[in-house]
Amino acid sequence: MAALAPARSLTLSPRWVRWRWPLIAAGLLALALLLRALPWDTTTWPEAWDLHLRRPIDAFRYWVIGHRNTHWLWLWFFDPLSAAIDWSIRRIEQALLATPWPLLVGGVALLGHRLGRWRLAWLSGGCLLLMGMMGLWAQSLQTLALMVVSVGIALQFGIPLGIWAARSPRVDAFLRPILDAMQTMPAFVYLIPVLLFFGIARVPSVIATVIYALPPAIRLTTLGIRQVSPATVEAARAFGSTPRQLLFKVQLPLAMPTIMAGVNQTIMMALGIVVIAALIGAGGLGREVLVGLQRLRVGQAFEAGLAIVFMAVLLDRLSLALSHLSIAKRRHAPADLGRWAGLQARCPLPLRRHGYLLAFLLLLAGVYAVHATLTDLRVFPAWLRLPLAAPIDAAVRWARDHLYEIGNSGLGAGPFSDFLTLHVLTPLRTLFTATLPWPAMILAVAALAAHAGGWRLGLAAALGMLAMGWLSMWNHSMDTLSQTIVAVALAIFIALPLGVLAAKSDRFELLLRPLLDFLQTIPPFVYLVPVIMLFNVGRVPGIIASVLYALPPAIRLTNLGIRRVDREILEAARAFGSTPAQILFKVELPLAMPSIMMGINQTVMMVLAMVIIAGLVGGGGLGLEAVIGLAKNETGRGVEAGLAIVIMAMIFDRITQGWAGRWRIARGS
Amino acid sequence: MPTAAPAKITCQQLYKIFGKHPQRIQAALQAGATKQEVLQQTGHVVAVKDVSFTVRQGETFVVMGLSGSGKSTLVRCLTRLIEPTSGRVLLDGEDILTMDEARLRQLRRHKMSMVFQHFGLFPHRRVIDNVAYGLETQGMDKRQRLARAQEALELVGLKGWHDHFPGELSGGMQQRVGLARALAVDPEILIFDEPFSALDPLIRREMQDELIKLQEIMHKTLIFITHDFLEAIKLADYLAIMKDGEIVQMGPPQQVVLHPVNEYVCEFTEDVPRSHVVTAAAIMRPPLPEDGAAYLPAVPPDVTLQALVPIAAERDARIAVRGQEGDLLGIVDRRGLMLALAGLELT
Ligand SMILES: Nc1ncnc2c1ncn2[C@@H]1O[C@H](COP(=O)(O)OP(=O)(O)O)[C@@H](O)[C@H]1O
Ligand SMILES: [Mg+2]
Repeated sequence: MAALAPARSLTLSPRWVRWRWPLIAAGLLALALLLRALPWDTTTWPEAWDLHLRRPIDAFRYWVIGHRNTHWLWLWFFDPLSAAIDWSIRRIEQALLATPWPLLVGGVALLGHRLGRWRLAWLSGGCLLLMGMMGLWAQSLQTLALMVVSVGIALQFGIPLGIWAARSPRVDAFLRPILDAMQTMPAFVYLIPVLLFFGIARVPSVIATVIYALPPAIRLTTLGIRQVSPATVEAARAFGSTPRQLLFKVQLPLAMPTIMAGVNQTIMMALGIVVIAALIGAGGLGREVLVGLQRLRVGQAFEAGLAIVFMAVLLDRLSLALSHLSIAKRRHAPADLGRWAGLQARCPLPLRRHGYLLAFLLLLAGVYAVHATLTDLRVFPAWLRLPLAAPIDAAVRWARDHLYEIGNSGLGAGPFSDFLTLHVLTPLRTLFTATLPWPAMILAVAALAAHAGGWRLGLAAALGMLAMGWLSMWNHSMDTLSQTIVAVALAIFIALPLGVLAAKSDRFELLLRPLLDFLQTIPPFVYLVPVIMLFNVGRVPGIIASVLYALPPAIRLTNLGIRRVDREILEAARAFGSTPAQILFKVELPLAMPSIMMGINQTVMMVLAMVIIAGLVGGGGLGLEAVIGLAKNETGRGVEAGLAIVIMAMIFDRITQGWAGRWRIARGS
Repeated sequence: MPTAAPAKITCQQLYKIFGKHPQRIQAALQAGATKQEVLQQTGHVVAVKDVSFTVRQGETFVVMGLSGSGKSTLVRCLTRLIEPTSGRVLLDGEDILTMDEARLRQLRRHKMSMVFQHFGLFPHRRVIDNVAYGLETQGMDKRQRLARAQEALELVGLKGWHDHFPGELSGGMQQRVGLARALAVDPEILIFDEPFSALDPLIRREMQDELIKLQEIMHKTLIFITHDFLEAIKLADYLAIMKDGEIVQMGPPQQVVLHPVNEYVCEFTEDVPRSHVVTAAAIMRPPLPEDGAAYLPAVPPDVTLQALVPIAAERDARIAVRGQEGDLLGIVDRRGLMLALAGLELT
């Protein structure tokens, strides 16, 4: 009986069910034509429907500004909190700036050695040194202080929350949607309200960074604890562990690598918005990039961008090593500093055990001896300066002269940019904003959502689209949507073949991996610098930067999906005489589809996360609105744009996740 | 010997049903519903159904059944690692199911230890810290517990491996660590959930022999789960066979082999070489005056056919079976021996 049921539903389902989606598409097209045939204008959103949300928001803003100095909420909560945060940033910054630079470089190198031997020692010492050599020593330390405070706060809340969520399903159920929303929300969106509540100097940027970096800390802590094998937990329970003993003796130690990976992600996320945070006064390296970009001093922006990359590499590799260390700590080998000095075997035990302490004390003594007698070591010396800005500016000039248009061939960045703008972006935008009636647009997105996740999602998507209109952001949203579609299409178009290639050739994968690692380490803003050099401002550089930003996960997930296909299935396919192409298209790609769809989901989300950044460099659309809202203190406008971005992100996140889910179910995995 | 010992652990009408409304399902079961019906109609899994048994002090109680028959669930109910739906579990007369958390923890820490199929070792702790874990939860100080753990390690033949991590050991050695961990707390009852199933056959046999040897010194109460019938009869003083959450047959191993109650049990017993199971006691007849028992070779009652046949082959096939004090229990003759070898019932 039970076995027969699916067969029956297959044979008896009416034909129209199979043609349902093409029929719906055709219906939508017909509707669009019909609406256009109507005598009145159906392509522009009826302005009378605007909710004018910005009015109460702006009113609220004025209220806040008026009462900030007198209201108890500020006097007793926001202000003391701000003061505490500001105080700690200042203290850390002062401490860092008061430390002689060789001591910092040497100390970081020692830490690197402790975590990852000589390789990491050179890498981390070198990165820090290079930041100084860019002439950005003080700015780097400012950014570092900001990072320390933000990451510290994020971890302080994230790890306990993560533990709590792992142990209580109710807390987990409560946190999950909040974290989902936080992660779909592009970073900027909460800059605006944060700015309103935390007025003081760099505090808003710390708060924004904490909010942005909190989800991975919570998520990975929960994940790490959940991942501890049930058999291990059962064994611990069987021996009479209390919940506390279970947590501290078994779950937390075993979750440590994952928690450390969370720390790593938290740090990287925090660094990712350093530049963005500069928009609201974070100072440091972010400000340098921003000023460089705004004044089109590419050399300066590039130097600051490089310094951010060095900082990212430094913190990334150190924290990664920390997560590996917690796996490998089972063998606490004595410091091999001794081997370097050729005295490993002979080196006395205290020296071996306290090698790092000793080395550090030596360093300290040496540095302060020089500092006290010869020269002030708190200032990074000018003679170590790498004069990069001038050659880069020259290179930019050269690139603009030569690559923007290569000879008279009609090739080059400029023509490409023009082509993309004139023949792809603009027509698509016109289609969405001027050709298609807005009800048809809404229904089309709703139909996509219904296809991906059922009629409920369809309804939610329709409401979301309507909301964009109500927020008076319809045209801007459609503009952003057109750019997003182009960027996603480009990213997939590049990522899919690369991912397949990487899956097929180990050598190619090996080649690609460091490149992807590098791309993922760089904060997204930094791509903008070279991209702007080549493409000028406009919609294209934003798209290129988004594509670069979104490529790594899409490539990775494609590669992973194909590599994970069961070897036995491939052998079976080969045994039936399939050609490699047949294997790829009939077996591997379909089986890898859930993973690929996840890649597409990530691509969409990352492109949407870049919308505001794109807005900064002339991308227009919602991004520009948000930037204007921030820059010109038009809070209401900024909030409207931010909400529209969040809504769009949520809709397309659910749609692509829905498709990924469908594939997964279809594959029975 | 085992029959005389007092009951250590008694299990009465134990039920475990996985799902949303276990109580309702239990009522249905008692009204005659089967496991399959329940699963198909309500999605509830009946893992343990109306199980009762008694394990005596110092006895090795083996639970045998195909995978999915509810063995693991059953033994986890004994220490409430899984909360039973209903029933009673008495340890030395005290009901475990009514204990509070703290009391239960004391029980797990001191009285009942468990050895797991996939070892359940803590990968982040050295071997010695794994073995000492139970003592650590008890709150024993470090020096003392490491010393005790060291002793346990030596007992299972892993001297010198204390500083390694579980991941560096072979499967057999890992299970020795698991065994040492259970022994270290010196529990009254040891529960084994298919401890040797994940090991390859040679190692498995070696571990079985060692367990038998250890038990000869320890005289602990063992509850041993297996799906391997040969292992079951090798270790068991008393054997319970489970199917679909129920115990379908229970008794001393040779009784199960000789008198399987149904097809299911038959299938297990078929492959068992009878000469390994059938003992002199099972095939002897009452002695007759003309036997001249005093001149016959004598064996104890638990000698198996395997050992009887060579003796019978040397003599004229009559052998006296004598108890511990030399008292004559019965005679094994040619007829009994041949019928037993042929697998026929002795009538
Ligand atoms: N947590 C659980 N939830 C639902 N069903 C379970 C759970 N644990 C075990 N079962 C089911 O209970 C039955 C008995 O399982 P188990 O006791 O593990 O059997 P065995 O140890 O004999 O292989 C199986 O049908 C299994 O699927
Ligand atoms: Mg089992």
